[in-house]
Amino acid sequence: MQTQDEKILSVSEYIDFLNSGLKEYRAKIIGEVSEAKTGPTGHVYFSLKDENDGAVINCIIWKSNYGLYGIELEVGMKIMATGAPNIYAPNGRLSFIADVIELAGEGALKKEYERLKKQLTAEGLFAPERKRQVKNYPQKIGVITSKQGAVLSDFLSNIGSFGFKIKMIDSRVEGQEAVADLLASIKTFKKYNLDALVIIRGGGSLESLMAFNNEKVVRAVAGFPVPVIIGVGHHKDEPLVDFAADISVSTPTAAANFLNESWNQALLLIERYERDIVGRYEKILENYKDIENKLKVAFQSFKNALGNVKINLRNSLEKSLSGFGELLLTANQKLSYAEKAIALNNPERQLKLGYSIASHNGRIIKKVRDIKIGQNIDLKVVDGTINSQVKRIWQKRS
Amino acid sequence: MAKEKLASKNLNSNLKRLAEITAWFDAQDQVDVEEGLKLVREAVGLISASKERLVGIENEFEEIKKEIKE
Repeated sequence: MQTQDEKILSVSEYIDFLNSGLKEYRAKIIGEVSEAKTGPTGHVYFSLKDENDGAVINCIIWKSNYGLYGIELEVGMKIMATGAPNIYAPNGRLSFIADVIELAGEGALKKEYERLKKQLTAEGLFAPERKRQVKNYPQKIGVITSKQGAVLSDFLSNIGSFGFKIKMIDSRVEGQEAVADLLASIKTFKKYNLDALVIIRGGGSLESLMAFNNEKVVRAVAGFPVPVIIGVGHHKDEPLVDFAADISVSTPTAAANFLNESWNQALLLIERYERDIVGRYEKILENYKDIENKLKVAFQSFKNALGNVKINLRNSLEKSLSGFGELLLTANQKLSYAEKAIALNNPERQLKLGYSIASHNGRIIKKVRDIKIGQNIDLKVVDGTINSQVKRIWQKRS
Repeated sequence: MAKEKLASKNLNSNLKRLAEITAWFDAQDQVDVEEGLKLVREAVGLISASKERLVGIENEFEEIKKEIKE
């Protein structure tokens, strides 16, 4: 193989060769802005100076990237720039082409965070009236997250089996580098007919969550056509997207549970209706069964009672019959006594003994006053009647 | 596919109808057994269809590519 020093290259060829190698030297560098100017095309040319020894590197950030980060480069500003070196062939100048710029130091970040928060609050971007509800029984869900790590699997393992149709875009979520990815992902999802958009990542520091404080990202979330659920963990300062989102939760699991909620409620509701309606009807049927049973019991009692009545009647009849027999016997005996008594007491029996029955005009004379002297009386004796006249009357002294 | 016929709109209207049927039972002093049976049959149908929709429907998952910035 020919080495480069054997082969003769043109200047352009050599610069191309160098640039292909320089791509490997992608890095994040920190320095103080010592110069900054915007070219006629909108690209920004600046220099970064090493604070320690004054070393300087020339930098360029293209207009499209510069606009993403909401940073106006100023001399004296301490920043971090991510990119790779490149030689500009027309002038042979080496420059660091920065894709990403960010403020260096938590102090600076915090300051920018507060400034932007104040500005967006004043604009009304975070107003409660802007918040939208996710509709009941959502189905079409867009998810923006990084495929790396546990976040996506946490979300998917907690989302219920309710026939969700989930579309996911793999996006960087870490640091300032995530801004471009997030914006592109949100823009892509705008074209889909979704019920909700979910943006999730794990917890992190202010630097780590930087992209979620980016003005363009915050505005994209606020302006998304359907409700946005943000599940971005944080330590202290809530990322600004939380304020812009319609729903803000702390974990991917919470985001999944949020989407499950109306489905779970519907299930509980159905189960309750089932208990209420079917249970109530079963109660009615139970009551009828109860009545039926009571009727059966009552009927059995009636049958028993009838049976008892039959037995009792039979017993009574038997008793009556035997009683009647006794009665007859008694009656017969009484009759005999009566016959005897009558026979004994028959007045005509007395006639046989020599007694007579005196009567006057058909009336029996029992007492002396029943007759007067001179009147006629009839004396009945055993074999006839004697007619006689009263001559004298003697009354017994009492 | 039959399960997906019961879209969320129908689920909503099913729940509404079930609420109406429950309210009917609540309002009765003496339940008309025939009318009650008719409504229970309807309710059981709604409950069954809704449960089918709610229980164990597989989710769909698809990764899509973000559009590259213009």
